[in-house]
Amino acid sequence: MDWQIFLRKRKFAVFAVLFVITAGAAGLIAVGCGGEPEADSKKASNLSSVEETIPVYTISDPTGDWGYPSPYAHYRRGPGYIRMSLIFDTLVWKDEKGQIPALAEKWHYNPEENSYSFDLKKNVKWHDGKKFTAADVAFTFTYVKKHPYNMIDCSQVSKVEVIDEYRVKIYLSEKYAPFLNNIAEALPILPEHIWKEVTSPEEFIEPEAIVGTGPYKLLDYSREHGTYLYAANRDYYLGCPAVQELKFVKVSNEMAAPAMERGEVNFAQIPPEMQDQLAGSGFEIIKTRYDWALKLMINHRKDPLSAREFRHALAFAIDREALVENTRRGYALAGSPGLLSPDSQWYNQDVAQYSYDPEKSAALLTTLGYHRENGFFTKNGKELALEMLITPEYERDGQFIKQQLEKTGIRVNLKSMEPKTLDAMINDWKFDLALSGNGSIGGDAEILNKVILDQTFISARYDANRELTDLLGEQLAELDPGEREVKVRRSQTLFARDLPFLTLYYPDWYYAHDGRVKFFNTPKGISYGIPLLLNKAAFTDIRG
Amino acid sequence: MHINYWQEIKTNSLGRIGMALLVLVVGAALLAPVLAPFDPFAQTPDSLEPPSGLHLLGTNDVGQDILSRLLYGARISFVTAVAVAFAATALSLAAGAAAGLIGGHFEKLVMRLADALLVIPPMLVVIIAAAYIQPGMVHLVLLLSLLGWPAGARIIRAQTLVLKEKIHVRASRTFGAGPLFILKRHIIPDLGPVLTAIFIRGARRAVFMEAGLSFLGVTDPMTVSWGKMLYHSLKYVYLDVWQWWLLPVGMALSLTVMSFTLIGYSLEEAMDPRLRREKHA
Repeated sequence: MDWQIFLRKRKFAVFAVLFVITAGAAGLIAVGCGGEPEADSKKASNLSSVEETIPVYTISDPTGDWGYPSPYAHYRRGPGYIRMSLIFDTLVWKDEKGQIPALAEKWHYNPEENSYSFDLKKNVKWHDGKKFTAADVAFTFTYVKKHPYNMIDCSQVSKVEVIDEYRVKIYLSEKYAPFLNNIAEALPILPEHIWKEVTSPEEFIEPEAIVGTGPYKLLDYSREHGTYLYAANRDYYLGCPAVQELKFVKVSNEMAAPAMERGEVNFAQIPPEMQDQLAGSGFEIIKTRYDWALKLMINHRKDPLSAREFRHALAFAIDREALVENTRRGYALAGSPGLLSPDSQWYNQDVAQYSYDPEKSAALLTTLGYHRENGFFTKNGKELALEMLITPEYERDGQFIKQQLEKTGIRVNLKSMEPKTLDAMINDWKFDLALSGNGSIGGDAEILNKVILDQTFISARYDANRELTDLLGEQLAELDPGEREVKVRRSQTLFARDLPFLTLYYPDWYYAHDGRVKFFNTPKGISYGIPLLLNKAAFTDIRG
Repeated sequence: MHINYWQEIKTNSLGRIGMALLVLVVGAALLAPVLAPFDPFAQTPDSLEPPSGLHLLGTNDVGQDILSRLLYGARISFVTAVAVAFAATALSLAAGAAAGLIGGHFEKLVMRLADALLVIPPMLVVIIAAAYIQPGMVHLVLLLSLLGWPAGARIIRAQTLVLKEKIHVRASRTFGAGPLFILKRHIIPDLGPVLTAIFIRGARRAVFMEAGLSFLGVTDPMTVSWGKMLYHSLKYVYLDVWQWWLLPVGMALSLTVMSFTLIGYSLEEAMDPRLRREKHA
C-alpha cells in the first residue's frame, strides 16, 4: 500500500515539476526580452523604438570567419569590428542621423584644457552583472596605451581623470579634431575587473574576454564554419534588442539570393544584377555609399615610378570610366584622384582629373626620354615593362589596365596572388604596380593621413611633398570645421597632383533584406568609418 | 611485345570514339585563330550577352566572346597535356629504367625520392610555388612534370627488372653491351606499351590539373584556359549565363579528359592479353 502511495506521490511530483518548467518557459517566451516593462524599455532606448520582437535573424557573409569577437582577437577589418561591436559598447555611437549617446549620456569639449568631459550612464551593467563605472573607462585608456588596439589609435590621449563614479575627463596631448569620431565612437570600453589581469590580450579568448556592455552576448562561434550566434542582452541599458538571436552564417554572395528566397537568410550582400529579382520578391534593397575605393598602388620609391610625370602618364593611359563599364558592368563610380568620393563631406571635385588621354600619356613619356619601338616605349635600349600585382578578385581589372597601358606602349606583366601575400609585398615595397583597396573613406578626413602618411600597406607612405605633409598634420589639429575643410580640400588637390596612387573606382555594393529590420547607411560609416550596414542600432528598430 | 597502336585503336570502338574526340580538341586548338570570330582578349561593354548570330555562345562578364575563348582555351589544355605528359614520361623512364638497370644504392635513392614525392599533393606544391615564381605556362609544365614522374618511374623500374633478366638481354650483356646500349636497344622498345599508358595517364592528369590550378587562380592571369573560364563563370551561376558559359566549358573539359581515357583504355586492352581474352570470350 505504502509503495503505491509513494508511486502516486512521485508521479504527481514529476507532473508538478514538468508543469512548473513548462509554465516558466512559456512565461519567458511571452515576456520575450527579459522582464522589463515594455514602456520602460522604450523610454530607455536611445537607439530607436522597438515595435515587435524577432526570434531569430540570419545574416549571410561570404567570408564567414572574422575572428573571435573580443576587442583584441577579431580580425583587423571592418566585419571583424562589427562582430565585436555587438558585445562591446563605446562612449558615443552613431545612428542614421549622426552621433547618439551610448555609454556616455552627455559630453562636452573643454578648450582651455584640451579635454573632453563625459557624464556616463548610471544604469549600465556588464554582462556578468557587475556595475559599469568611470573606472572602467579610465582603465580602458590606460590598457590600450600599454597594449595598443591596432584598429584605434589612442596616442593623442595623454591622461584620463576619474571625477567621480560616473564622470570622467579625457585629456588630449594636442588638439585632435577627429577625437569623437575616431576614439570616443570607436574604442570599445573594457571591464576592468576582467582585463586588469590580462597580459596577452591577443591570446585571451576565454569566455570572460567577451563580457561587455553591448546589446548582445555571444552564444557560439565556429572558426571552421565561419558562424556566430548571439543572444540579446536582456538587461541592455538602451532597451532590449528586438532581434532575440542573431546568426551570422557563411554563404557566398552568388548563393545569397537563392538562400534569401528559401527563407534561410534574412540579410545578405547580393550581386548588383539580382536587385530587381529580389525587389520583385518583396525584399528591400539598399545600396551603400561610396566609402570603399580600389586603388592602383604605385611604388613611387622606385624608378621610373618615382617621377611624378611618369605617374601622370600612367593615369592618362587608364580610362577609369571604361574600366567601370567593362569590369563592373557599370556598377561602380569612377575614382577621383583626390581619393575621397562624392559621398564624403570632405570631397573636393576640383582636383586634377587625368581624363583618359593616351596621346598625352605618350607625350609625357617622350619628355621623360622614352621612345616607341615595335609598339612599346624603350629607354637606353631597355623596354619599359612594369609588374602589376593583383588578387584573383581583381583579375578582370588587372587585365583591363594591362591592355590599356600596353595600348599606350607600357608593357605590363600581371602577377596574381592571395590577398595577404599581396598586402605583404606592398608592405615590403616589392612591387611596381598593385591593385589594392581600402574602406573608411566616408569617415573622418583623418583617413587621408592614414592612406598617405601612415606606414601600413594600405598607405602610399608618401612624405615627399612637405606642404601636403604639413597640411595633413594641421587639419587634424584644426577644430574649426570651416578651416579644417579648407585644409582637407587643399590636401586632396596636392595629393592628386603628386599622385602616389591612383583611385580607380568606388564599387556599388547592394544588400537585400526582408524588411523586418530597418537598416541604414551610417553617416561617416559605422564607428570610425566602416562602410557596412550592420550597425547595432538597427537591431532595435523593427518595422511592423 | 610489338603492337601496332594505330591498328588497335582503329579496331576498338572506344578507341575510335576517344581518337575522334581528341582530333576534335586538337583541331579546335590548331585552328583557333581561323575559327574564333573575335579576339579572345578584347573586353567590350557588351557583357553577359546571350547567344546570338554575332556571338554564338554569348559573351562573358567583361564582354569577351565565349566561343573564341573556348577555342583558344583548347590550345592551353592540349599544349599542357602533351608537354607535361612528354616530360613526365621522359623523367619516369630515365629514373625508373636507370634504377632498374643499375640497382644498388642508386636504385634505393631514386625509389625513396619517388616515394617521398608520391605523398606530396602536387596541387599544394604548385600553389606554394606560385607565390614565389611568376605563374605561367612554362613554370606550370615544369612543376607538373617534376611532380608527376614518380608513379610512372615505379612501374617502369618493375618492368625493367623483369626485362633485364630476359634471355636476349642477358645475351647482349654477355657480348659486352653497356647499360645505355641495353636500354636503347632492348629495354625501351619493350617498354613501349607501358610508356604509352603512362603518357596517356599523364596527359589526362595534366588537363585536369591545369584546369584546377587556373580555377584556383594560380596561373598566369592572362592565360585563356578552360579552368579560368570555369572560375569566372561560377561567379555568375545565379544568372542564366551558365547555360552558354559554364556548360560548354565543362563539356569541353570532360570530353578532352574522356578522349585520353578512352584511348588509354583501348591501348590497355591491346596490351593486356587477359582483357582481350575476356572480350573475345
